Amino acid sequence: MEGESSGMTVSKEAILGVIAEESGLDPAALRPDATFEQLDIGSLDVASTLFIIEDKFGVEVDPDKLDPHSTIADFVDLVMRLAPS
Amino acid sequence: MSRKVVLTGFGCVSGLGIGLAQTWRKLAAGEGAIRPWRREAPEGHPAWRIDGPAARVDAEACRMALEQAVGDKDDLRPLGQLDPLSLHALTAGLEAVEAAGLRGHPSLARRTAILIGCGSGGNATMDQAYERLYARDLAKVHPQTIPASMISAPASHLAMVLGVHGPTFVIASACASSAHALGEAMHMIRSGRADVAIAGGSEACLTLGSWTAWSAVGVMADDTCRPFSKDRKGMVLGEGAAVVVLESEDHAQARGANIVGELAGYGTSSDAADMTAPDREGIETAIRAAHEDAGIAPEVPALISTHGTGTRLNDPVEAAAIRAIYGRSLEASTVIATKSAHGHLIGATAAMEFVIGMEALARGAAPPVLNHLGAAPDCDLPLALAQASPGAVPIDHRVVVSNSFAFGGLNAVLIGRLPS
Repeated sequence: MEGESSGMTVSKEAILGVIAEESGLDPAALRPDATFEQLDIGSLDVASTLFIIEDKFGVEVDPDKLDPHSTIADFVDLVMRLAPS
Repeated sequence: MSRKVVLTGFGCVSGLGIGLAQTWRKLAAGEGAIRPWRREAPEGHPAWRIDGPAARVDAEACRMALEQAVGDKDDLRPLGQLDPLSLHALTAGLEAVEAAGLRGHPSLARRTAILIGCGSGGNATMDQAYERLYARDLAKVHPQTIPASMISAPASHLAMVLGVHGPTFVIASACASSAHALGEAMHMIRSGRADVAIAGGSEACLTLGSWTAWSAVGVMADDTCRPFSKDRKGMVLGEGAAVVVLESEDHAQARGANIVGELAGYGTSSDAADMTAPDREGIETAIRAAHEDAGIAPEVPALISTHGTGTRLNDPVEAAAIRAIYGRSLEASTVIATKSAHGHLIGATAAMEFVIGMEALARGAAPPVLNHLGAAPDCDLPLALAQASPGAVPIDHRVVVSNSFAFGGLNAVLIGRLPS
């Protein structure tokens, strides 16, 4: 993890907010069972989202644990599992 | 078959406003966009300070105008992060294409070229990335840093939004970039490589890093831009974009387009002499070449839109070149210098000045040279100065000559004409 994060508390809502912001999608479109592929969220959007997650919450996620078939729920669970309790 | 290159749409964004209508209102009223720009240094970084004049774009208004022009915000999604460089280009580009009545036209897909002039890439995006690395020692930067900041991003973004699949690229020749873009676009149409060209320039260089670098060159004024004036101190940075839709006359007529002008001539030259100082011979070569290309003699009274940066070196050299070419016939012409209103838009400046020049011809009014303190002994030109009222000066010309002379000695001159 890099030495600087804003130390915000991780929450499902906050993670969804970052995905919406980085992908340009309406938060309402982010259904838990929808995959990145179905939502047309490309690899660069995923990388951007991970970058902001790391910056905001200090949570570093291995991008190899995600692929186009990962769902929004997979993503949120992964970040929440890695977040400091 | 005519390969005459006509103009069917204009769009622009600068400190003067978003769109040509707003821009012209300010110019016609003799109002400028140069304002003090101050940024206090944050704690721990005393060098991160900005204090000087600049002509800045209202970024929020620009974004709103773009979203309105696109109609569906989802259409902007595939573009990713937008540096102001692309934001400016898209807003001006969509205005121009809309004005030309070409949105959704089948010719956009295959027979259209996009040529955008840029002096530098996305400075804001690069500044943000480097600040993380150099100042905060953070190893990672935003993954969109490269696609958002690359100098060709504005051309790609325009192509994506408009569905243009023809020749699309960016031309870089510093302060002449968008004159070269318009001129080369004209040649593409003349040669039959495209029927339509969306050409212009974009720039977004008002960041701490870019500002500091420009300040180091020693050409920036600390008060305002006073082209060809006594006590002028230098140039003032601006930002924005201007885009023109060019078409072959046949194409425009076949679709019943409203033809608002003609790009009649383009002359270009390289001084091959100095990286910052202008060269009178190189300048004269470009101006004469533009007249020859247009088949318009220098004796024809015209609106002469100077490069007019307000720097110590540019103005006397340009004034001498203009005097040498036009001689006594200059007295029947009108000389303007609109950087005094919108600042120096670097890669976008030539297109902005060409658009303003064409609009001035159409309206029979020249935007006055602002901030003028009286004739400079080394710049003898019949300038359009505000007389009794601060507004535009009446003119009756059909031709505009628009000069651009870049650092590194790259010169390009455009000649536009009202439709016959």
